[in-house]
Amino acid sequence: MRIGIVSPYSFDVPGGVQNHIMDLAEALLELGHEVSVLAPADDDAELPAYVVSAGRAVPLPYNGSVARISFGPLSTARVRRWLKQGEFDVLHVHEPLSPSLSFLAVLSARGPVVATFHTAMTRSRALSGLQNFLQPALEKITARIAVSELARKVQVEHLGGGAVEIPNGVAVRKFASAQPLPGWPGEGGALGFLGRFTEPRKGFPLLRTAFVSLARQRPGLRLLVAGPGDRADLYDDIPADLHDRVEFLGLVSEPDKARMLRSVDVYVAPNTGGESFGMILTEAMAAGATIAASDLDAFRRVLDGGRAGALFPNGDQASLARLLGELLDDPRRRADLASCARLAVGAFDWPSVANRVLEVYATAIEATDGRVFDEEWS
Amino acid sequence: MPGMWWVVGVVVLAAIFSAYLGWTAQRVERLHTRARSAERALDAHLLRRAAAAAVVAEQAEVVELYAAARLALDADPGERESAENDLTRQLRAVVLDPTDPAVRTLIATSRRVVLARQVHTDLVRDALSARRRVFVRLLRLARRYPRPSYFDIVEPALPDLPPPVPVPAAPPEDVLPAQAL
Repeated sequence: MRIGIVSPYSFDVPGGVQNHIMDLAEALLELGHEVSVLAPADDDAELPAYVVSAGRAVPLPYNGSVARISFGPLSTARVRRWLKQGEFDVLHVHEPLSPSLSFLAVLSARGPVVATFHTAMTRSRALSGLQNFLQPALEKITARIAVSELARKVQVEHLGGGAVEIPNGVAVRKFASAQPLPGWPGEGGALGFLGRFTEPRKGFPLLRTAFVSLARQRPGLRLLVAGPGDRADLYDDIPADLHDRVEFLGLVSEPDKARMLRSVDVYVAPNTGGESFGMILTEAMAAGATIAASDLDAFRRVLDGGRAGALFPNGDQASLARLLGELLDDPRRRADLASCARLAVGAFDWPSVANRVLEVYATAIEATDGRVFDEEWS
Repeated sequence: MPGMWWVVGVVVLAAIFSAYLGWTAQRVERLHTRARSAERALDAHLLRRAAAAAVVAEQAEVVELYAAARLALDADPGERESAENDLTRQLRAVVLDPTDPAVRTLIATSRRVVLARQVHTDLVRDALSARRRVFVRLLRLARRYPRPSYFDIVEPALPDLPPPVPVPAAPPEDVLPAQAL
């Protein structure tokens, strides 16, 4: 099948949607399909062979964070050229309602269009207000995928369309085979956090406070932090005598992320909200880490109701500290949680996710030109 | 000459309006064509499912399931929905062996029915909402197309087999009620 995928966000900056698109594209290529990904990118950026640049991206605040996207007449022209040259059997756009390449592609496309909705948009009320205006664009979408139950709910309630729920995939192999960083996790125990620690919704302050109190009682305990942000901002709020027990990796590449997740005894996800799926949790599960996470609905679902990772009440710093203490003291419980997680993550492995996405493609193709695909059912 | 500006204005407005009507007529046509394609696709997947169910029923010698599958295959349009619902009920009642290739085919076809129904519902909704637009009604732009209708059946999802793991997402049955129209 010839598949055209549109990314709203630039690959220059790592992000959940971008990684999703790259992993999906690679899984589809591995299954023998032809894939072209259109994404905003600087002209001199190094891109995988299957990515086509649609020109420079501009930073734009969207849905509570900053996204680098491109929009405008030049982008429109590039989208149309790409569509024309691609001759795709199906067009797959991501986040089609953001002002981005995806929206432009939906407007320019005819035929089978599949759209994936990632965010459970908090400002969806504004969206339903725009519904009349967006209707012609929405109509061009044949089939919709939501990556989480929450994202699907937004679809159903605010845009009046159904959506198939297909969770994010995770490249289990890559994570399971990564080598821990030298010297980690070490004797005294190691906690890990990955994400934008300055963003309140990621809940890093909860972990920081818990770590500081735990570190006073446990002389060997260390904290490994990775994510975008300023080194000084991280260390400023940590007492000076603990600085050498906090390691900051900065923004990490995908392979380093896997190594980082393999390097900790407990991976902590103290997020207080805004997560629609919990991608990082499936990655930590694939890496075989023990997980302690806040009991957000999304996390609860990914962690199989708490069997594949320990949950603590959202925002409750004391419970978090207690839970982390228990986990650090109990290697057996950690091993049990981790092995359960490794099993549960199978459902999120990319090849199985890509096959479900292919079924949606086939359905969209049938609905658009009446062909019933005579493919092998898998 | 103010009179001439009047004329120019009216002509421009008329041009814009007729462009809008043309665009709307195209939209109506596209939506109805699609709803019809989606209906055909759904029909094909339902037939496949019933056929796959008949194979499984024959192998396992489950008479009720075989009867339900035959009825679904032969049902008249008016009885189709209840026949498909019966089949779904029968399918949920039997214990399926995930190692059997016929069962795997049946599960795969059921999954395709779920998708086809979802897309069909969405496209019918789009077509119906286009029919409700003021100019579409006034100028009867949709008169050439039969009114598409929903195919109202219970969610045909079967539990995904083999359960590779305790599936972390909510089970399909729980996901469904929100899909009501």
